[in-house]
Amino acid sequence: MYDTNEAKTAVQNDVKFHCSDVQVYYGESHAIKDVSIELLDNTVTAFIGPSGCGKSTFLRCLNRMNDTIDICRVEGKIDLDGEDIYDSRVDPVQLRARVGMVFQKPNPFPKSIYDNVAYGPRIHGLTKNKAELDEVVESSLRKAAIWNEVKDRLHAPGTGLSGGQQQRLCIARAIATAPEVLLMDEPCSALDPIATAQVEELIDELRESYSVVIVTHSMQQAARVSQKTAFFHLGVMVEYDETTKIFTNPSDQRTQDYITGRFG
Amino acid sequence: MTDAAMPLAGPAPAKSLHQPDARTRKRNAAERRFRLYGMAAVSAGLVALVVLLTSILSQGLPAFQQTYIEAEIYLDPAILDPNGTRDPEEISKVLTFSYKPMIEDSLTSVAERLQGQGASELTPAMLAGMISGAANAQLRDYVLANPEEIGQTVEFEFLTNARIDQYMKGKVTRESAALDSKVDVAQLNAADALVEGGAMETRFNWDFITAPDASENRPEAAGLGVALLGSLYMMLIVLFLALPIGVAASIYLEEFAKKNVWTDIIEVNISNLAAVPSIVFGILGLAIFINWMHLPNSAPIVGGLVLTLMTLPTIIIATRASLKAVPPSIRDAALGVGASKMQAVFHHVLPLAAPGILTGTIIGLAQALGETAPLLLIGMVAFVRDYPDAPPGGLFEPATGLPVQVYNFTQRADPAFVERASGAIIVLLVFLVVMNLIAIILRRRFERRW
Repeated sequence: MYDTNEAKTAVQNDVKFHCSDVQVYYGESHAIKDVSIELLDNTVTAFIGPSGCGKSTFLRCLNRMNDTIDICRVEGKIDLDGEDIYDSRVDPVQLRARVGMVFQKPNPFPKSIYDNVAYGPRIHGLTKNKAELDEVVESSLRKAAIWNEVKDRLHAPGTGLSGGQQQRLCIARAIATAPEVLLMDEPCSALDPIATAQVEELIDELRESYSVVIVTHSMQQAARVSQKTAFFHLGVMVEYDETTKIFTNPSDQRTQDYITGRFG
Repeated sequence: MTDAAMPLAGPAPAKSLHQPDARTRKRNAAERRFRLYGMAAVSAGLVALVVLLTSILSQGLPAFQQTYIEAEIYLDPAILDPNGTRDPEEISKVLTFSYKPMIEDSLTSVAERLQGQGASELTPAMLAGMISGAANAQLRDYVLANPEEIGQTVEFEFLTNARIDQYMKGKVTRESAALDSKVDVAQLNAADALVEGGAMETRFNWDFITAPDASENRPEAAGLGVALLGSLYMMLIVLFLALPIGVAASIYLEEFAKKNVWTDIIEVNISNLAAVPSIVFGILGLAIFINWMHLPNSAPIVGGLVLTLMTLPTIIIATRASLKAVPPSIRDAALGVGASKMQAVFHHVLPLAAPGILTGTIIGLAQALGETAPLLLIGMVAFVRDYPDAPPGGLFEPATGLPVQVYNFTQRADPAFVERASGAIIVLLVFLVVMNLIAIILRRRFERRW
């Protein structure tokens, strides 16, 4: 799907996240061990691996969503544009405005479609007046490829949409705060193949403006949408490379076994 | 996977689907039996409810009716306002006792009129024995309210005493009157004559709801006014204290507090408090609010505070349960777009939990409204005839509460208080039904069905 040319350009992109020796503990259990990775701008990076390997946990470290879990402890260094996001001066609220997140299950607020998208800009004070807010809502819905379906019923409840539409609404909500990085935790696992195709197409478009990190259980999906792929196994990042290389010529035996379906 | 050595269940021997086998019949019979048990339980509950309601309604509804003797009365200025100033100050100095001659004159004229119509046995003295001991005060209240009527002859309705009233309601018979020192058979005959002559009637009695309590000997004048006000004041205090404190405490415990030994201890204690007998809260209120803080006895403020303490655990438990029931994905969604914890809670979690919180609050309020034991201990069982002022001042003045008033009525000797007690229970139940209706309406309003 992506020629090697495109893959090469991706390598030249700026580093967005620089993580070194990240450890995550849930109480006593050591969930993430020594993960060091550089995530690039304007690139879709896929995290693959068997269930419970820590890929979602690591993803949630990137916008400090793990802070909401009392027993979770993160060590190591995660820099966003050279700034340590676990520094005591960082307010996770500001971080999350720059690092948006889309969850596994579509979770629109039980409010209107408009209010769903407008919520982020409102609480961050991104717009000065109603007209500007309208504009942000429209452009976010357009970017999320759902504008045409909902433009006539912006004030209908967001929870009344179909699953695929809800997930795209959640993506619109995430990009309305103009984040730099978009984290997606298995965004298509609750969707049917048609909705999945729509969301995947969307992810590919989002790459132009954002750095996208996606956790997925579907290796086909990782191959289709990502330029870089990281394979996680038992809390360790086994291999991180160009997607084409991971899927055609992995350097680690475990990666080889996983993508050929021998375990996991 | 499947073990090849294990014999697979072959096709079952052909049995007709039209013929249920023994096992199926047994299962179906068990289900039918269970349904019967269920229906029996529901019917038993319904029967109990119907019996309870019929007994309360049949005993209590007559309390809303009262018998009056209608008579013309001349409001003699020579007695009421000897100086002719019509000054309410002056008029209020006239003793209640001084109204008696006017009433006697008025009753004499009624007796004479009816004697002319053939009721020969009716004497003025007999009539005087039929009106309530509260009649003097009743007339005085009327004159004080309408001083401009002095010097005129007005239509007035005298309360009859309880025995005559009960006779009109069919509860006093000629047989029982023969044994009763407070009424005799001749008076009952006279009552019949009065009704026939159009001078006596039984009609709806607002005074039962609005009037204050009356003495042991005048059940016909006793009302629920002070108790209603007292209960209303206490409910307001409970609502304004317990709802914000309870909801704030629950939000903090549920959303912000770290789970550690302390929050565990607090949680266990809240559950324990909900199970503490209410009389213990009464003793606590007596010790702290009255003996230590020196708040007045019998005051709605003390009752309200005690009931607040009692209601808080209920509200906290209900609120925490409804906060827990809000799906965590909503919190994730809010935090994910960069809402602070507090914004996530107040913008998204709380509105979704609101119906549950409201229900819990109203259940707590209803519980508090019906609570008697703690109020007995803080002196609200007192005999209070003066209405408390409007809040906030009135919160510190003596009052009673509805359930305490019921208890009070049942303690009195005169059988006419039986219907008063049941009537008070009906008012209490109406209060509860109204509160539950408000809860349902608010739930509907808050509940977003999407």
